[in-house]
Parts: sequence; structure tokens; C-alpha cells
Amino acid sequence: MKLNIEGLLVYFPYDYIYPEQYSYMLELKRTLDAKGHGVLEMPSGTGKTISLLSLIVAYQRAFPLEVTKLIYCSRTVPEIEKVVEELRKLMEFYTKETGESNNFLALALSSRKNLCIHPEILHANIVVYSYHYLLDPKIADLVSKELAKKSVVVFDEAHNIDNVCIDSMSVNITRRTLDRCQTNVDTLQNTIHKIKETDAAKLREEYRRLVEGLKEANVARETDIYLANPVLPDEILQEAVPGSIRTAEHFVGFMRRFLEYLKSRLRVQHVVQESAPQFLKDIFEKVCIDRKPLRFCAERLQSLLRTLEIADIADFSAVTLISNFATLVSTYSQGFTIIIEPFEDRTPTIANPVLHFSCMDPSIAIKPVFQRFQSVVITSGTLSPLDIYPRILDFRPVTMASFTMTLARTCLCPLIVGRGNDQVALSSKFETREDFAVIRNYGNLLLEMSAIVPDGIVAFFTSYVYMENIVASWYEQGILENIQRNKLIFIETQDAAETSMALEKYQEACENGRGAILLSVARGKVSEGIDFVHHYGRAVIMFGVPYVYTQSRILKARLEYLRDQFQIRENDFLTFDAMRHAAQCVGRAIRGKTDYGLMIFADKRYARADKRGKLPRWIQEHINDGSLNLTVDEAVQLSKHFLRQMAQPFRQEDQLGLSLLTLEQLESEEMLQKITQIAHQT
Amino acid sequence: MKVIKFQHRSCFKWLLRGCSLPLPPKTGSEYYTRPNVVQTEMDEQGCPRCKTTKYRNPSLKLMVNVCGHTLCENCVEMLFVRGSSNCVQCDTPLRKSNFRVQLFEDPTVDKEVEIRKKVLKIYNKRDFDFPSLREYNDYLEQVEDIVYNLTNNVDVENTKLRMEQYQRENRDVIQRNKAKLTREQEELEELLLQEQQSNEQRRLEVLQEEQRQLQAKRKNKQALLDELEQSQLPATLLLAQHKVRAAQLETQIEQQKQAVKPTSLFSTGIHMRQTVSLQPVTKIEDVLYHYRPLQVETYGPPVPELEQLGRLGYLNHVRAAVTQDTAGGYTSGLACYRAIQDAFSGLFPLRG
Repeated sequence: MKLNIEGLLVYFPYDYIYPEQYSYMLELKRTLDAKGHGVLEMPSGTGKTISLLSLIVAYQRAFPLEVTKLIYCSRTVPEIEKVVEELRKLMEFYTKETGESNNFLALALSSRKNLCIHPEILHANIVVYSYHYLLDPKIADLVSKELAKKSVVVFDEAHNIDNVCIDSMSVNITRRTLDRCQTNVDTLQNTIHKIKETDAAKLREEYRRLVEGLKEANVARETDIYLANPVLPDEILQEAVPGSIRTAEHFVGFMRRFLEYLKSRLRVQHVVQESAPQFLKDIFEKVCIDRKPLRFCAERLQSLLRTLEIADIADFSAVTLISNFATLVSTYSQGFTIIIEPFEDRTPTIANPVLHFSCMDPSIAIKPVFQRFQSVVITSGTLSPLDIYPRILDFRPVTMASFTMTLARTCLCPLIVGRGNDQVALSSKFETREDFAVIRNYGNLLLEMSAIVPDGIVAFFTSYVYMENIVASWYEQGILENIQRNKLIFIETQDAAETSMALEKYQEACENGRGAILLSVARGKVSEGIDFVHHYGRAVIMFGVPYVYTQSRILKARLEYLRDQFQIRENDFLTFDAMRHAAQCVGRAIRGKTDYGLMIFADKRYARADKRGKLPRWIQEHINDGSLNLTVDEAVQLSKHFLRQMAQPFRQEDQLGLSLLTLEQLESEEMLQKITQIAHQT
Repeated sequence: MKVIKFQHRSCFKWLLRGCSLPLPPKTGSEYYTRPNVVQTEMDEQGCPRCKTTKYRNPSLKLMVNVCGHTLCENCVEMLFVRGSSNCVQCDTPLRKSNFRVQLFEDPTVDKEVEIRKKVLKIYNKRDFDFPSLREYNDYLEQVEDIVYNLTNNVDVENTKLRMEQYQRENRDVIQRNKAKLTREQEELEELLLQEQQSNEQRRLEVLQEEQRQLQAKRKNKQALLDELEQSQLPATLLLAQHKVRAAQLETQIEQQKQAVKPTSLFSTGIHMRQTVSLQPVTKIEDVLYHYRPLQVETYGPPVPELEQLGRLGYLNHVRAAVTQDTAGGYTSGLACYRAIQDAFSGLFPLRG
């Protein structure tokens, strides 16, 4: 159908449209008009992807000078494939409608094996790839450096974007990294030695270039051709490489000293935490390394690797990592912390020293993106509370909106189970972790649900350890045996192969009709990327609140930083983080309007306003007072009722006019009125 | 109560078997072996003379001297009873007092750092001692060359001579720069100071807060005692009142702890909730300015043009401009023209 969105002709490749899609496109268009950034939350399964694609493509066609390129970033390979599929549909529709073969070039970058670099990207109108291509400074430099300023960047499934940013800037150094780095440095030295004998001119040429300074890169940055790289700070570009690391031998010696220093730092007996300036001071006192050459380290190494014409860069990942670390630690005096742990918390007897150089400020990694591109859109099914993202990513959105799902029937049923049948409070909090009564009641809940829910049930635990404990206990109490009378049980483990096997068999079991139960972990693989459409997931049970492991020093440092720099309270952030993961987990079950599913939150803490208020609006809307703090029995009653209703036949005609619109219906005055209310501005 | 944990690995095996699933073969237990690797590499270090290793003697202390060769503390004690001797490996004459504890795994790095520190004491010029950055960089490279030569025993004699010469030539500069930090170090010091101050500030705030709470509690208690002493009300009632008040105080404190300064600013300094209008700025559409020549009504006969004054002989009646006047752009025509305009205007009576 052809839509008119505030004067813009949008080709939409389906015959029907959801009202929220229309509303979403309206907001999106306003964001593009204003050339600003936007944060948009819309439930999964309501066609975010196609709305985004069709609007932006239409915009590109209408204003080819305003928006030259769409960069669509998604998280996983299957998600990228989904986007490409939708895009193909859209393009076919264009060809059919306009009759002309379109001249749009779209490009998807998925894995390393089909990595293709820039001549194509420069001309493509649409680029689809993973976050890392834009956020990770190492890859971004290769792939995304030359993207035009007038691009629109979309981060889909962006609820975890702050963690991606942090991970891309953090460096973990183990003893093993250092050993590999040592080998790298040795190889470098040998290669230099060899080249000196055979082709000394090459090294001289490099030396001459370095004396001149990094002018090339500087010109590029100033004329704004490249995306800025956070590992290559501005000051560096304006100066020449310091004399102390100009020749290749000196640089190798420099790396050696730095390496030995790191090795000596890893020989600690207790945990050390220090800031970047402290680290720099110490390194000067111990091995006489100044801050300036450290800053140039990453750039100098790249230059050397290029000069030596080393083909297999992957072999040099260790030394690259170390040099990146050197540059980062000397460039940013704030926003990072250094933590050296002599052993892991769980195994204090085994020496396994790690140096965490951990980024605490996600805005550092994403800053070049916000600065460079005229519109950046952050969107996901679960972005609540919306205002926290602009705060932790440090940008200023022009639109922030949350859309709900218009439904012809209430197809989701969130229930908060706070008590067992014996009135024992259900909670995964630390004090009751090993309480038999709680574990038994959790088992009871799962047992009862397995009896009444058809097909698949997915249960999420807060951590692997907790799941192992509980399952072991259920086994002893004979609960597992009872559950297995109703459904088969599968378990997610930390092993990826094991998990995908379990998942495959789980789906097979669901196909067979009797259904199955999948026990998995929040923040795990299953909770992040796998959809349980229709009969694969009729109920999701969330056992406990998935708080992150709060004793980790890195997390503590980050919380402190958030409090001091962004005025975000520790508790607020922890709750926000837990709730976004909980919402992700339960959101796995509903992937469309014809789908239906139970969402059971089995922890009394969910009933509190501060937790409930942080769930996405489309879930919150369906939680009424009657579904708070239920006992297991009550929850079972409500579920039975809900499931019976949902089991009635549901046809497209039932949806039409309410949650599914034809073009005529869409254009009616009354509907347009209604649509304006869907978007919830914050 | 504690859950007696049975082997959970086998628990999963059982579960999967229950569903007739074959377990995939376990891939590598590298996670567990890795720490051991670390252990052995660190243990391999040992004294080249007595062959003791860190593994056999965890308290082994390795020492290193200017030549960059290692010896353990015991061997040093034994060989250098007289204070000086030759290196076991390279025969360099060494002094006992020059032995240092080996900090790094690679003893040559220890040696290099030692040399570097010495060299930097002499070569302590700063970037502002040079007219351009380029020269400073050349100088840095020179320093690096010297350190490299000394560490790797290349051309040692010449290098030492060069150093001595440099030292003689630049005595003043060296003396002057001795106490000075480089600019970058100054920056670092400043950052460290800032950090320290903010930490101190935070600590003080917490301390003050605690003190205030303590005082409030003490006051509350005192109030209860006073009331018990003076009031006519029964003691149980007073106690109950006190309990309520104490609870209130407690919650108040709790709240204060929770309350971090609320902020309405993004860290960029922009106000939150600032609404941005998406309406396009209204364009003010005006008629374009159009030039029309000025029409002046003089109410008199037409005045002759400026250029014609000379021809018509008017100029004969004004003072001719002298050279000084013309310098500023004055011509006699100007004065004459004005006088004529004055004289001609307003000669006709107003009509009507």
C-alpha cells in the first residue's frame, strides 16, 4: 500500500498496516526532518523493521540530498538476515509499483568470511551490519571510516547498547595475552632485522613519513572525511610521532619495556584498583615511559605493521591489544579504571592474574557516531525507562517515544506471583537463595504450569549457579520427576554447542504436540537472541529478578562513576538493568499479534512500583491490581481462564479495523485521531 | 538450611539422557589448565649459578647488576664477600652495592631501565628548550640511540665520550632542569591532586552526614529523657511516641542516603525534558526592497547642477579653495552649491 506520512509518499509492501506502525513512521519522519537523534520503543513483533526500512527508503528517494545512506545496525547474524529479507520484500514492491528497476544498492556485512570493504560501501544506499562495525574502534576503522555524514544510523535491538559500547572500549589482559604479545614482539624484532638486511629503504621511507607527522590522517579528519576513532585522539594527529619511538628498533624496545612492566604489575598478591593517572605515574617511575609516546603507541604499531607488510594481522592481535591499551590509558584520564585481580573470586587458590582496563562511560565509544551522523535512531522492544539512555550515552534526542501494541484481544497476560500456596514469599534475593520452601514453591509453580499450559514453556533463572542449585534440589524432592510426566525438560548450559542442541530438541518436542520445558538463564544466549513464536513459547516464567552480579569490582566502579558523573543512583541503575533483562526474557514469547503467551514474574519484588514502573509500557498496561502478588493457585486459575480464551479461533477479520488496518481504514478521521495517542512522548 | 548439592554436571547428563539426547563431546578443558601454564612460566625463572628456581624455593630473590645478568641473593652474598668481583657470565667487574632486586622477568630490561635513568639525568632537556618540536623529537631520538647503544654494548666507548661531552657543554641547562618536571608530568600531578581532593571531599561529606545523624539520634534520646522527667503523661505513652519519632528519623536518614542530587541536566549541560519544536521556523515573507530615486521638494526654482556651477559663473562669487583645503576633499563648488540651494529653496509661496 502507498501511505502518505505528513506529505511523504511511503511504499509499504504489505496490504495491511498496524496503527502503531503508522505512528512509529510519523515519529521517525519528524526525527529525520529535524536532523536529530531519536529514541523509539515499540514492542517486538509489531513490525519495527519494515516500518523503519520503508520510511527511510522513501525519505531517501524523496530527499536524496538530505539523506544519502541508511546504516542499519543489528545485533546478531539471524537478525541481520531478517532485515535483509524484509528489505528484499520492500524492493520487490518498489519494482512492482513503480515499474522501474530500482537503482538502490543494499549491502549486508555479516561475518568475517564475507567481509567486504569499502568501495561498495561508499556507493551502497543501505548498509546492514552488526553494531561492532560501527562501535568497536578496531573494526570501525576498517569498515565504517568513510561513511558519509548525511547518513541515518539505526541501532535496532539497542537495549543493550551501553554494554556493547563498554565492551568495545575495555581491555582485559591476562598472563597469556602478555606471553603472546612477547612472541609478537620477538617476531617483530626478527622481521625488522631481516628487512634491514634486504630492504632497508622501506624502513627509511617509513621513518621519513613519521618525521613528517601523521598529516594525512589529520587532513582527512579536518576535512571530515573519516569517522573519528576514539583510539586515535585529535591531539595526536596534529603532532609528529615523538622521537623516542620513531625508529623501528626503538619502538620495539619501548614495547618490550611496556610489556615487562605489565608483567611485573600482574605479579600481585591482592587486588589493586587505580586510576589512569596513577598508572601513568607509576609507569614513569618504574620504566621511564612518558605519557606522550604511550599515546602514539597504537598508531605507531599500525604504521610498523604496514611497513613490514605483515599479512596475517590476526597473529598480532595480542600486541595490537596492548598498544590500544597503551593509547587509551594515556588518552583518557577519566571514565576508565584499572583493576588488577590476582585470581578469580571463585577460585582463590589458583593464580590467574587479570588486568581489567575497564571503560565505565559508554558515551566514549559512541560519541563519534553521534557527532558524525545527522540522525541516529535507537530502537528496541524494551527501552524503558526511555530517559536513561540519553543520560548514559550522553546525547540529546529530539524525539523520545514509546509505542504500545494495539490489540484486538488481550494476548499477553503478565502475572506477578509473590507467594507460594503455603504463603511463603517467593524471591530470589540472596538471603532466601537456599531456602527449601522457596525452591519447593518455585518447583510447584513450574509443575502446575506444566500441567495446564499447552506446548512450550520457557523458564528463566537469574544465573547458572542458581539454576544448578534449584534443579539439583528439585531432583531430590522428586519435583522434576513429576514435571516430566507432563513435559520434557531441556536445559541451557554455558556450552554453546550443548545449548543449541537442547534448543533444537526442545523445538522438536514442541512440534510433537505434548510440549516441553526449557530451563534457561537471563542474560544467556537464549534470552538474548532466540524467539519462541506461537507454540514454541506459550508461557515464560521468570524465576527471580535478574540482577547482575553486584560484587564484581568492575561493576562497583561503574556504578560509582555513574553516580558521580551522571547522577544516576546505584539502585536505579541496577534495577533498570535487571528489569530490561527481565523484559527481554518475557518478551521472547510474544512475537506478533496473533501470538499469545503468559508472562509469569515469580518474585514478590516485581509487585513494587519501582520495579513494575521500569517494565516497558506495552507490558505494564496489562498489569492490573488483580495480577499483583498472586499465590501459585491464583496464578493457575487466571492462566487457565486466559488460555481458554486464547484457544478460541482467531481470524484476521477479528483484527481488521482494530489492530490491523487497510488503507481506507487508516485514512479515516477517527483512526488518525486514535493513532496520535499511541505514541507516548516522554 | 543448605541444599546438599549433588554433582550437577551429571544431573544435566541425566536430564538430557531422559530426553534421549546424546551429549556432545566435551571440547577442551583449557579453562582449567591455563592457570597452571602461568604457574610454570613464572617458576621457570632461576639462578643461573646454583640452578635454584622459584618453584623449588618460593622465597628466591633474584638480583641483577649493571651488566644485566642475574644471580640469586645467596650467590651474591657468597661471591661478593669482599664487595667486588666479576660477573659469572660476562666477566664484567661488578660491585656488590650495585646489585638490585630484579623487577622484571627479562633482566636486560632491568639493565636498560637502570641505564636509562642515568642517561635521563644528564639528558634532561625539555620541549621548551628547543625552538621547534621537530628538533625536540630529533633530540629524543638521539637519547634513545644512546640508551640503545649502552644496553646492547654497541660502540660503548664512543657513546660514553659523547655523553661526557654533552654533559660538559650543557652543564647549566642540566642543573636548571634538574628539579623541573616535564609538562606532562605536571599535568599528571594535577590530575592526581584533583582525584585525591574529590575523594577527600566525598569522604568528608560521608563523615559529616554520619555525624549529623548521630547527633540527631542523641538529641532524640535526650528529649525522651527530658520528657520522662518532666511530663505528666504515662511513661508507656511517651515511650511509644519516642519509638514513632525514632522510626521517622530512621526513614528520613534512609531517604537522605538514597537521595542523590536530582539533576535536570545532561552531562553536556543541556536541560532534560527540553521540548524541541518540530515545526519549521515560519518564514517572514516581505516584499523585496526596491530602490526609487529621492524626490526632494524645494519649493523654489530649480537649482543648477553641481557640475554646471563653474560654467554658469557662480564660482566666481565664492572664495577659491587653497591647497590646504583641497587636501581634505573640499572643493569650492561644494560650498557654492550649498549656498545656492539655501538661497533657492522656499521662494515660492505654499499653494492652497
